[in-house]
Amino acid sequence: MNETVNIRELQDLIASKSNFVTMIRTGMDHRIVGQKHLVDALLIALLCNGHVLLEGVPGLAKTLAIKTLANLVDAKYSRIQFTPDLLPADVIGTLIYSVKKETFEVKKGPVFANFVLADEINRAPAKVQSALLEAMQERQVTIGDNTYALPAPFLVMATQNPIEQEGTYTLPEAQVDRFLLKVIIGYPNKDEEKMIIRQNIQGELPPLRPLVDPKEILEVQKIVQKIYIDEKIENYIVDIVFATRQPAKYGLPDLQSIISFGASPRASISLALAARAYAFLQGRGYVIPEDVRAVCLDVMRHRIGLTYEAEANNISADDVITDILDKVAVP
Amino acid sequence: MNLRKFFILVLLSVAVCASAFSQSVSVKASLDSVNVQMGRMSTIHISVSQPEGYKGHFPLFSKMTENGIIPICGDSVELRYPVAVDSVSSNGRLNIKLDIPVQSFDSGYYQLPPFDYVIAKDTVRSNALVLKVYPVNATADTPIGDFASTADPADPSFFDFLPDWVIDFWWLFIIVILALIALIYGLRKYRKEGSLLPKKPEPLPYDVAINSLRDLKERQLWQQGEEKEYYTQLTDILRKYLYGRFGINAGELTSRQILNRVRANKEIADKLPYFKQILSMADFAKFAKIRPLPEDNIQAYDNALRFVEETKPLPTAEEAESTEKKGGDK
Repeated sequence: MNETVNIRELQDLIASKSNFVTMIRTGMDHRIVGQKHLVDALLIALLCNGHVLLEGVPGLAKTLAIKTLANLVDAKYSRIQFTPDLLPADVIGTLIYSVKKETFEVKKGPVFANFVLADEINRAPAKVQSALLEAMQERQVTIGDNTYALPAPFLVMATQNPIEQEGTYTLPEAQVDRFLLKVIIGYPNKDEEKMIIRQNIQGELPPLRPLVDPKEILEVQKIVQKIYIDEKIENYIVDIVFATRQPAKYGLPDLQSIISFGASPRASISLALAARAYAFLQGRGYVIPEDVRAVCLDVMRHRIGLTYEAEANNISADDVITDILDKVAVP
Repeated sequence: MNLRKFFILVLLSVAVCASAFSQSVSVKASLDSVNVQMGRMSTIHISVSQPEGYKGHFPLFSKMTENGIIPICGDSVELRYPVAVDSVSSNGRLNIKLDIPVQSFDSGYYQLPPFDYVIAKDTVRSNALVLKVYPVNATADTPIGDFASTADPADPSFFDFLPDWVIDFWWLFIIVILALIALIYGLRKYRKEGSLLPKKPEPLPYDVAINSLRDLKERQLWQQGEEKEYYTQLTDILRKYLYGRFGINAGELTSRQILNRVRANKEIADKLPYFKQILSMADFAKFAKIRPLPEDNIQAYDNALRFVEETKPLPTAEEAESTEKKGGDK
């Protein structure tokens, strides 16, 4: 084959660097049974320098997943349990007066870590949520007069419990939009459940050894940025996003009354980024429509507003996105 | 007798004869009721008795207006055209009877003039009549009660509700309604089919695909360095063919999804290698800016052509028969 762009070189580079993907997947397989989709979502977010919002009932290895990832990457991990009485300072840090030194000292909060688990983020009031989401977006925190950059890589995995809504503060749409992916995880199947039992009753598991250096992840992030996206793919992404805004124009007039607001341009950006990361995970130096479809649900489901009519008819954002994907022409 | 006496005698004889003729004609008039209420009608009965063979007339009727009214007594009394005329011949005499409606809208006492009857240049007068017209006892508080108002028909039909002009031009209405029906039918057909003309039969997916492939070959896209466009069109032809021929909605499916659907379709599962080669090359050319080698391009085309040819629908029994007949005719 003749090449006009240096795709082969990129392919070789991806092949050499994607070893770490195999290592992380293998490492996580040792600790987490099933939940392949969750692992892939974490890797995509890591490669895109994005964040993940996780929705699932308790006990589905959400905490274990990010903790395992942190251990495998040799990165700093912290967990913040969001509660109604939590304060922004509890997340980002504060100035504490040192009697000994007679001066204010910076006490950095748990957000200063490579992997942050924001457990049950919807249990904390809006000001705390806002503090974390701002840190996620800006990747820096201001305490007192000084601004401190957050470590890189920086991945926040926030969790939400879909069944207990009493005493919770729903994340505003504008803030939910800042998560690259919203992953919904379900129960394991029977075989996976049996393996979970065996794994957990055999006693303490051997500690995980770090397999990947955080610097390596930063290098891979740069490679992912080089992955080629053709204009045809860009058009496909734009068509999908526009179909959420003007469904009738894409032959989906029924969705007009179902969607209250369509996806933002940030959705288009996120879709392109996530598709590129997915292509990397597949060992490809270019994006194909398959990659876009693979990440579309996770990228889009929290960026589409549904009407009361949709709720009354039990129509979810996933149903809407699936309809759109089935209708938008693939290049 | 001298001549003077003779002439006097002749004149007297003629006068006596004329008087005798006029006396043989009699005209009598009578009223149903002398007292009549204002606006009500009474009837004047006139009976004429005359010798047979003579023709007479009432000059009064020549005064009749266009409305059939004969005003008398200074226009206060109105006579109508006779409603009944009867004549009976008996013993050389003719008896004529007329009933003339009479009406007045002015109260008062009226002496109706005698009715002149002209016959054989002689005029015979009837007797005079008297008519007394009473006013109607009505005030603002006590309206006229015995005059029936206009009432709806007891059992109205659909046509009673239609204006007269509708009934007069019923044929025009039928034409308009038929035109409207034709217009609505035409509009619905136009919206549905995009044309008022009868729809042409859709070409077979096989024919469309074969023609498109030939066209693609003639355009020599990859030979001009337009591999991306070449594979875009090649995959579009196959996607349309898959939809038209096998109902696989390939236009909205990715390469992997198409392969899965082909694999799952028993009819074409054995054609999977064709698709693998075509779609993998197409993905390279379309999304990776990679220019496949000429032999890859030729192979992709050949695979597409083979797939279409090998899945060409078999002719139906009727089609086969007609083909045979055509062959026999030659």
